[in-house]
Amino acid sequence: MTTTAGLRFAASVVANRVLYGQTWQMLLDAPGPVRAGRPGQFVMLRCADARSCDPLLPRALSIAGYERPAGRARLRLLYDVVGRGTAWMTERTAGDAVEVTGPLGHAVRLRPGTRHLLLVAGGIGIAPFPWMAALAAERGVSVTVIHGARTAEELLPPGELHPEVELVTATEDGSAGVQGRVTDALPDYLDWADEIVACGPVPMFRAMAGLVRRSGYRRPVHLLMEEIMACGTGICYSCAVETRRGVRLVCKDGPVFELRELF
Amino acid sequence: MDAPDLSVELAPRHKQGLRLRNPVMVASGTFSNGLEFARHHDVQSLGAIVSKGTTLLPRRGNPQRRTTETPGGMLNSIGFQNIGVERLVRDICPIWATWDVPVVVNILGDTVAEYARLAARLDAVPGVAGFEVNISCPNLDVGGIEFGVDPAAAASATRAVREHTSLPVVVKLTPNVTEIALIARAVAEAGADALCVANTIMGTAIDIEQRRPVLNRPFGGLSGPAVRPIILRMVWQVCAAVDIPVVASGGIMTWQDAVEYLLAGATAVQVGTATFVDPDAPWKVRDGIAGYLERHGEPSVTAIIGTARTFRRD
Repeated sequence: MTTTAGLRFAASVVANRVLYGQTWQMLLDAPGPVRAGRPGQFVMLRCADARSCDPLLPRALSIAGYERPAGRARLRLLYDVVGRGTAWMTERTAGDAVEVTGPLGHAVRLRPGTRHLLLVAGGIGIAPFPWMAALAAERGVSVTVIHGARTAEELLPPGELHPEVELVTATEDGSAGVQGRVTDALPDYLDWADEIVACGPVPMFRAMAGLVRRSGYRRPVHLLMEEIMACGTGICYSCAVETRRGVRLVCKDGPVFELRELF
Repeated sequence: MDAPDLSVELAPRHKQGLRLRNPVMVASGTFSNGLEFARHHDVQSLGAIVSKGTTLLPRRGNPQRRTTETPGGMLNSIGFQNIGVERLVRDICPIWATWDVPVVVNILGDTVAEYARLAARLDAVPGVAGFEVNISCPNLDVGGIEFGVDPAAAASATRAVREHTSLPVVVKLTPNVTEIALIARAVAEAGADALCVANTIMGTAIDIEQRRPVLNRPFGGLSGPAVRPIILRMVWQVCAAVDIPVVASGGIMTWQDAVEYLLAGATAVQVGTATFVDPDAPWKVRDGIAGYLERHGEPSVTAIIGTARTFRRD
């Protein structure tokens, strides 16, 4: 197996637990290249026992950052249990081996001049943002995260964010923060934000596109798209998305897209 | 003992032939046009690369949803999204021409005339080592019945390509037929240098909450380990029906699966869905075949091809 450079690595589970609500955190001890990811990129995690072909396909997961205790970077993944793959993930315990392909896709490229960064997350779309926010805050960028969920217990605990990052919340049942959706909290921040990154379901993106159009907001709005993937590496053509410049693949051409290219 | 000879010849009757340095190819539609993997893998150490299915005009492919996982497999309905033959010739073939690995272009037409035009267009283009004719698509000459399900239509698509190229021609059969040997014979007689067995098996999945098919089209093509026993049986049958090389393509996940196909009579194998699961899969299959030959004291891949066919019943 020496003839391939490889993207795929054996990793081992360091910790795997519920972080809040129904959202889990998995920490992986992963070798070299996997640790070179940047915010917005993702990995494919095979979610089956060794030699098992069921479930067959790996799952795409946003890189939620790296933890560096004693110099050894650990890959952090945040996930909700939505199907058989993520259910399998919850059963992993410390020391279990898993197979990871990545980092994959393009990272979010923020403008160097951005002073006010707004991150908008719906549900588990929060996964890449604590890390992205911390990196920006460490560079002196003022960051606000808007996190929307159905109910209070599904919201990211404020302690998960860099201390200088502001967290604004919205819940559909009004149990915390603004009652409603992230797009109900968003208008107050449009004048302030130099640049926006959003991650969440397509209806959230559509609602944001409407707000952006009506408000005349002209600065960059990056979307982190999710689509059903088989490979994550640009070869299966599952994750097609219609853009103004034609059909693109979320895994290879994204997952970051400019909002106006899509909606 | 020397390392076993992994090379195979896919077009022994062709004047130039189609020599592969090892029997592991990557299947059409599972490797794009090779450029993505060339960034991180040694694609030139594969036996051959088969391009994404290419049509005369670019195709956007189908809207979502294009794939869904099934037990031990997946269904796809990509809709032949591709850049079209002109962009392929302009942007991709010049890159292939610098590679030391045969690239076989998978072509598909709506009519017999389109197959002829595709073959003629690509015939003398540097970087193109041969054709894989995809006949698992509707024949608009006769109201949309697949070329590959009718011996005469399959033969006419084959002949159209054969008459418009001097390059080796592989024809990829559909498994969605009652008697694959009939189609295989018709295509071999029409001038194919080799056959690929087989394309995906048509299937479907239904979303019981929304009460509609999961995919954008009711049916998709099933691939992955779930199809392997069926395609292995078909490879066996086709090898008995024709005397040209057969390339096996169906659910190979490991080198053991590939060896099964070789023992059944295949001259080469294509790895497809496995590359989605593990990007290193084609190379692992190649190395595993070499290890198997060494352990069994076999001098070459060709020494084991079809050897399970002559077993003695107990």
